[in-house]
Order: sequence, then C-alpha cells, then structure tokens
Amino acid sequence: MPIEVRNLTHTYMQGTISEVTAIFDINFRIDDGEFIGLIGATGSGKSTLIQHLNGLLKPSSGTVLVDGVDIWSKGVSLKKVRQKIGLVFQYPEQQVFEETVYDDIAFGPKNLGYSQKEVEGQVEEACELVGLDRELLSRSPFELSGGQVRRVAIAGILAIKPKVLILDEPTAGLDPRGRREILDNIKNLHETGISVILVSHNMDDVARLCERIMVLDKGKLVADGPAREVFSQGRFLESIDLKPPDVTVLMEKLRDRGWAVRNDVLTVEEACAEIVKELQRRGVAGAI
Amino acid sequence: MISGGAIIGQYYPVGSFVHSLDPRAKILISVIFMIVLFVGNNFYAFAVTGVFAVLAITLSKIPWKVLIRGLRPIVFIMSFTIILHLFLTPGQAIFEIGPLRATWAGLVQGMFIGVRLIILIMFTSLLTLTTSPIELTDGLEDILKPFSRMGVPAHEIAMMMTIALRFIPTLLEEADRIMKAQMARGADFESGNMVQRSKSLVPLLVPLFVSAFRRADDLAMAMEARCYRGGEGRTRMRELNLSTNDYFAFGLTIVMSALVVYTRVRFGPVIPRGAV
Ligand SMILES: Nc1ncnc2c1ncn2[C@@H]1O[C@H](COP(=O)(O)OP(=O)(O)O)[C@@H](O)[C@H]1O
Ligand SMILES: [Mg+2]
Repeated sequence: MPIEVRNLTHTYMQGTISEVTAIFDINFRIDDGEFIGLIGATGSGKSTLIQHLNGLLKPSSGTVLVDGVDIWSKGVSLKKVRQKIGLVFQYPEQQVFEETVYDDIAFGPKNLGYSQKEVEGQVEEACELVGLDRELLSRSPFELSGGQVRRVAIAGILAIKPKVLILDEPTAGLDPRGRREILDNIKNLHETGISVILVSHNMDDVARLCERIMVLDKGKLVADGPAREVFSQGRFLESIDLKPPDVTVLMEKLRDRGWAVRNDVLTVEEACAEIVKELQRRGVAGAI
Repeated sequence: MISGGAIIGQYYPVGSFVHSLDPRAKILISVIFMIVLFVGNNFYAFAVTGVFAVLAITLSKIPWKVLIRGLRPIVFIMSFTIILHLFLTPGQAIFEIGPLRATWAGLVQGMFIGVRLIILIMFTSLLTLTTSPIELTDGLEDILKPFSRMGVPAHEIAMMMTIALRFIPTLLEEADRIMKAQMARGADFESGNMVQRSKSLVPLLVPLFVSAFRRADDLAMAMEARCYRGGEGRTRMRELNLSTNDYFAFGLTIVMSALVVYTRVRFGPVIPRGAV
C-alpha cells in the first residue's frame, strides 16, 4: 500500500482574509512496512498533512497517490481508501459515542459493510491487539479511564483492518504508564506487518521506535531520512523549536567537552555503551 | 468541511473611520437606518439611503468584493420575492404564461423590494464587519442597561452572547474534527434519505454534546474561581466613550433621515395608489 505525495499544498479558508497555508509543496513516498515518525512544532502542519493521506482533506494543489492511483480522481471510493489507511485522530476518546465499548469498536467495520460474524471477529482481534480486556466490551465507554478509552478508539480503527495506520499524537495527555503501554501496542502492531506513521512532538518516543523521521517546519518538509541521521542534528532541531531526544542532548554536551562519543545514538542503552567505551579509552574503566 | 465563515470570519479587521466608531453609535445608526429604509417609499429615497450606504462602505475600507459575497445567501430569497411581485401585482400586462400575468407595476414593485433588500443587507452587514464581537456585546449591554429597571437582564444577555460568540468557533472546529474522525471510520454524512441522514448524525452529535457540556462545566468553574457573581458593581476594562466622530456620524444619519422623510412627503409611493 505505497503512498506517494507530490507537491502537496493546503490552504485553509482560501480566498478569505484569514487564509492560512498550512502545508506547502510536500513530496515523499511511503513504502509497505515502514515505521515513520512525523515530527514538528505545534502548528507546523502535521495534522493537516496526515488528513490528506486518507482523503479527509482535499489538496489545494498537488496529488496524493495510494497504490499509484490519485485518490481524488474520478471513480475512486474514498471510503475504500479510508479503510486501507486508518487514521487515529488526536484525543480519539472524544469520538466515542455508542452505549457499549463493543458497539463503538464495531462502528467502523459495520459502516464498511462487513457481516455480523466478521464484525465480531474483527472487534475481538482489535481488542487483542491493543490489549483491551474482554470484560470491558459490555461496559459504557464513558465509564473507562483515559488510557482505556484511547485504546478503545484505536481498536475502533484497527477493527477496519487498515494496511497503513496513522496515529496523531497518540500519547498526548496520558500518564507515563498509559503512554508506555500505547507505544508498546504500536510497536507490536508494526511487527504484524502494517506500516505505521506516528505523529508526535515527543522526540524521545519517536527516537525509540521509528526507523525513518520526517520533520515539518512551518508547513514545509525540512528533513526526511533515517532516524539516526535526523536526530544527530540536535542544533538544527532546536532551531525549529523541537526538543531533541534527551540522549542526543547528552551526547552533544559530552562532545562539546571534548568527549569522542557518537551523537547519533537513539536509545539510553546505546548511549551507555558509547560512554563506557569512551571511559575505557580514557583509561578510567577500572573505576566502573 | 463545516465552515464557520459566515459567522466567525465576519469581522474584517482593518483600521478605518467606521471601525473606530463607538459600537453603541454603530448599533443605533444601524437601527435608525433600517427604519428609515422602510419609511422611504420611492426611488428618490433610495438615492438618499444608497448614497449614505456607499459613503459608509467607502469609509469602512471593506472591499466591495466582501460585501457582494455577503449577498450570495439572499439571492434565492430575493429572486423569489421579485418573481412573486412581478406576477401577483395587478396592472397592465407585460407578458403572460398560462394563468400567470407579469405586470409593469409588478416589475417596478419587485425591483423596489429587491433594491431595498440589497441596501439593507449591505449596510447592516457593515455593522458586524467593522465591529468585533466583543465590542458588539459591550455596546449592546450599554444600550440595554436603561431597560434593566424594567426587568431586562442586560448584563446576562451580553454575557451569554459573549460566551456564545466565544464558543461558536470552538464548537464548529470540534464538529469538523469529530465528523472527520467518524469519516475515518467509514461514516457517511452525505448520502441516503432523510431518515438515514438524521441517523448518521448521532455519531457526530453525541460526542459534540458531551464535549459542550464538559466545556460549560469547566467554564462555570473557572468563572466562579474568579469570583464572578453577575453584573452588579462590575467595571469594564474597555470603557466606551463617544467621540466627535460619533457625533459626526449621528449628524449625517439625521440629515439622511430628514431627506428620506422629505422624499416621502414630496413624491409619495413608487406606485401611486389608484394608478393601476
Ligand atoms: N480547520 C482549520 N481551519 C483553519 N486553519 C487551520 C485548521 N486546522 C489547522 N489550521 C491551521 O493550519 C496550521 C497547521 O495546523 P496543524 O496541521 O493542526 O498543525 P500541527 O498538527 O502540526 O499542530 C496552523 O496554523 C493552524 O492554525
Ligand atoms: Mg496536530
């Protein structure tokens, strides 16, 4: 399910005094099975960009190709596109409305015309994927905790069996435990073979999980490459109001002090290994 | 996409003579203008009110494009009115379609109503185009204040309007977002018959109400935390003061009103009674 975006520009409220060009001349291609982190400061256009990928927003100019087909050309069913490319909105718990958790998760597959039996199976499967207790299915979604409702909402998208999963700031507003659980879920999901686009302004999460990073700044795609490459440019990220991952900041500081450590580490473990190596080189390893 | 353009995008923030006028003056002048527009009963009156409107629009620096766009919603209603008049006024026939008879008197009458509507919409939209919602509610509160002794809750009305104006864009934005979120789950808001369509609104309305109630709760709490207890003894951050510009505008309005009354007395109705 490759997605290709060409010269994509979107202007909100075109032709009025308050028109805003939210994204400008964006180009990229996403292949099957990728795990992409989309980062950028608030207002940089992340949400606008991803809403184009499943046809919720229409480009002001440019094209979005899914499987090589322009999704806005005649005869393309946007409903089908939306089934293949699942999009979990920011604060998805605000979209639940059914009386029971089961019904809410089943809303998507029912809309797409699956039989009752298929729907049941897909709801169960989705619950398993996000680690949702079977017992909750008969409860009202309005009784659940924040982290739980969010998982219900994500399950609601997974139940339509998308090939690509896009999540807009899935951890925003969760406590550390809820956040870790959601991120673990997402990692597992990617391992089942679907492509994932994770939108976030938390660099630590993205650095730990994503293989490829795209950076938006004021509506322009200013970096797109392997996570290591992008995150090693700590100064650049700071210049566009992004906080580089903590480990990257640490490594930069050590380098400033003359330590010969790499600055493209992504996890705490890697950072530890680098520091130990440097200490050994300096001959203080005996102390550890 | 749901667009709140008609309601929110209304205020056109440029600096101009009209923008700088006191909101109370603008509200009163708009009311007077509306009355005068209906007092005028011939095309000479339109010459007066028209010149006044064009002058106001020029002074407001609002592009004509914006005002003409504002007329779009009433095109249908206007054509309807004109056609009704054209065929339902008795008089000398222009042409006939079956039992329908278009008359010269109807044509004149229809044109007359049409012009009146155009002037009315253009001038009154000037009020909201040149006055921010906050100014507008402040002005309204002041105008209503003398009536509070008669039991009109002036402060409460103004506060309700302020809150509504504050939250309309938020709720529209939210409705837009929830709608898109449900569309991402295959919801269809556009096709089907009436019953199916109203049913399809449930996934939009339930979350929207839940969030509106939550917001209302939060707002009440926040207002209480800041010791809000109604309008009594409350002072304003922005005090309203009438300036020479306001008196000048009032003066012009009076002159215009007088002229319209004169045309009415001097020339009489556009279709003189008994002429047909
Ligand atoms: N529905 C909308 N109407 C008008 N402007 C919008 C709308 N949504 C977003 N914007 C504007 O587009 C820009 C990008 O917003 P967004 O895509 O939400 O950024 P991000 O998700 O990175 O925070 C912002 O300037 C925002 O104000
Ligand atoms: Mg966003």
